Amino acid sequence: MDNVLLNNTLLILLTLAVSLFYIISMTLYGADFFKGNVFAKTYKQPALIVTIVTHIAYIGFLTAPEGYKLSYSSSMLMSMVALTLAVIYMFIEFSTKTDKTGFFILSFSTGAEILASVLLLTSSGNGPAFSGLGIGIHLLAAIFSFSAIAIAGLYSFLYLLLFRQIKNNKFGFLFENLPNLEVLEQLIKHAVAFGFLFLTITLFAGVIGSIQTSEVINLFETRLLALIVIWLFYGASLFIKKLFGWDTIHMAYLLIFLFVLTATLIMLMSIFSPTFHSTSF
Amino acid sequence: MNIISVGVNHKTAPIEIRERVSLSEVQAKEFLTNLIDDGIAQEAMVLSTCNRTELYVVPGMPEVDGRYLKDYLIAYRNAHNEVRPEHFFNRFYCNTARHLFEVASAIDSLILGEGQILGQVKDGYRIAAEVQSAGILLTRLCHTAFSVAKKVKTKTKIMEGAVSVSYAAVELAQKIFSNLSMKKILLVGAGETGELAAKHMFQKNARNIVITNRTLSKAEALAEELGTNQVLPYESYKEHLHEFDIIITAVSTKDYVLTEPELQQSMQKRRLKPVIILDLGLPRNVDPEIGKLKNMFLKDIDALKHIIDKNLEMRRAELPKVQKIIDEELVGFGQWINTLKVRPTIVDLQSKFLEIKEKELERFRYKVSEEELKRMERLTDRILKKILHHPIKMLKAPVDTADTIPSRVNLVRNIFDLEEQNQRTK
Repeated sequence: MDNVLLNNTLLILLTLAVSLFYIISMTLYGADFFKGNVFAKTYKQPALIVTIVTHIAYIGFLTAPEGYKLSYSSSMLMSMVALTLAVIYMFIEFSTKTDKTGFFILSFSTGAEILASVLLLTSSGNGPAFSGLGIGIHLLAAIFSFSAIAIAGLYSFLYLLLFRQIKNNKFGFLFENLPNLEVLEQLIKHAVAFGFLFLTITLFAGVIGSIQTSEVINLFETRLLALIVIWLFYGASLFIKKLFGWDTIHMAYLLIFLFVLTATLIMLMSIFSPTFHSTSF
Repeated sequence: MNIISVGVNHKTAPIEIRERVSLSEVQAKEFLTNLIDDGIAQEAMVLSTCNRTELYVVPGMPEVDGRYLKDYLIAYRNAHNEVRPEHFFNRFYCNTARHLFEVASAIDSLILGEGQILGQVKDGYRIAAEVQSAGILLTRLCHTAFSVAKKVKTKTKIMEGAVSVSYAAVELAQKIFSNLSMKKILLVGAGETGELAAKHMFQKNARNIVITNRTLSKAEALAEELGTNQVLPYESYKEHLHEFDIIITAVSTKDYVLTEPELQQSMQKRRLKPVIILDLGLPRNVDPEIGKLKNMFLKDIDALKHIIDKNLEMRRAELPKVQKIIDEELVGFGQWINTLKVRPTIVDLQSKFLEIKEKELERFRYKVSEEELKRMERLTDRILKKILHHPIKMLKAPVDTADTIPSRVNLVRNIFDLEEQNQRTK
């Protein structure tokens, strides 16, 4: 199968442009956070908006031949993760007026988009496009779940950093620029709640999708097992604080662990099964 | 036209000297009136705060210089025995303007970037305006200084961050809790330090402040002042420790007022919800072991000084930006001063052309109708305006050095034969 991009100069340029825009946005957010650069402060948000709009247009161009349906390829999923992370971050920035964590979230977005571009430019195709409402919901919910897990993990990491800095009387630029501990805790809670909701949808939509395609559900299948384990952990983390009196520090460690676990599983599945659901759902 | 500034401040003299020459508002008004009435100054202003007493003077006589003004102030305050001219600084012309800009921007203050000085400079100008000792030069100088200070405040971080222990305590609390109005605060000790911390908390919307003190009446007085009206008896406040998110201690005692077992018990009761204890006492009021408890942030004065040092360092890093703003404004002010020097020539030039116009029109006064004469007058006005536009623009144009102004003025005077007017102006 030929590489779909190599025959389309516009798509090649868009693929590179989207990655470049992510790098520019991340750099501007970083320059504002670390250096307090006035130019970066002024233009970081417009740059992010341009990046998101370009990315949506890019996804549109990429999926146009398949009737604007997303495919199961790792590159497409990574690209969607980058986009949803950026969109969720922008929503957080607008709703909480906190624009100091952008560098950390966008670093992950940028990494995901660069990886997506590399995978797309080197792979032989996009993989099959999904069909059916159940599978569509499963795929989108999975993307949003992973973004929520990533955000919860990243904010947990920032929470731990700030907590340690305050404890150890290190009042540097992280102390100066990060939102306060209570705000970070709220952001983590919201991310966990959304993550659990989308994981639940992913799980049930996946089961429904399998039933629709008459596929036998194998409970020992790696992807399903991984999804159930992460779903259980996330569900538990919603109540663990109240039930067992865990403090936010322990929660933060757990959420970082879950993020690393999820990212590792996705990476492994990307390597060993580049189209995720390659044969059928 | 020169501007002289002389004065004593925290950089030039110790507090006992500064006290001797400081002027109250009434004294400042009398002093300024004397300066003007005696012909010593054409314009004058006094800036007198706890850290400085400074005079800004446009001399009225050639012999008035820095030394003259220093002696005059020492004599006025009858401080010959303590204060010597060496205690004063002395600046002229552009350096005077630079100094006032630096003062108004709070970069000449004892605490870099402190917020009170601009108001004090405005007070100084108000006093001068009230006794009519602020003329065109000092008015422009002061308004430029206000504008500089405003730019510095909005475009730099020179005034950002806490630089006092009590304010640093609030800054720290805000880095842990997002909304102080939702937090319950306990103040142990109603002395000066505690009061200041409570007031800073109140300014940041903290309303649920409970005060305890050995002398209950003092606690009640402070609670009333803050409008919280919440006090706890000193003997029983420890029973309520678990209710508080922020505890501020500022009492004078040799023993710890809060110990580790007490706080451990309280943390269990509040299910490990974070607590900040701000120990502002010296010697310390709180057992340092408490800091090791889970979700407990114990900060003493030394820890808070880290915040102050960091903020001062940040403010110092802003100094080049502030100096750049001052330099830009200084150029603009210098150019405005230069336009003062060419103003008599512009007036002479306009008078000369007006005179010519009047003479020529006079010759036609009875030869044409009144309506035609008015039309001729309008025509000549337009012609004169266009002829004079370029010479006036050239005179007012910015110059690199003040030395080029006389040659410009002489050129225009020679071309338009303004010698007579020049003599008259002199």
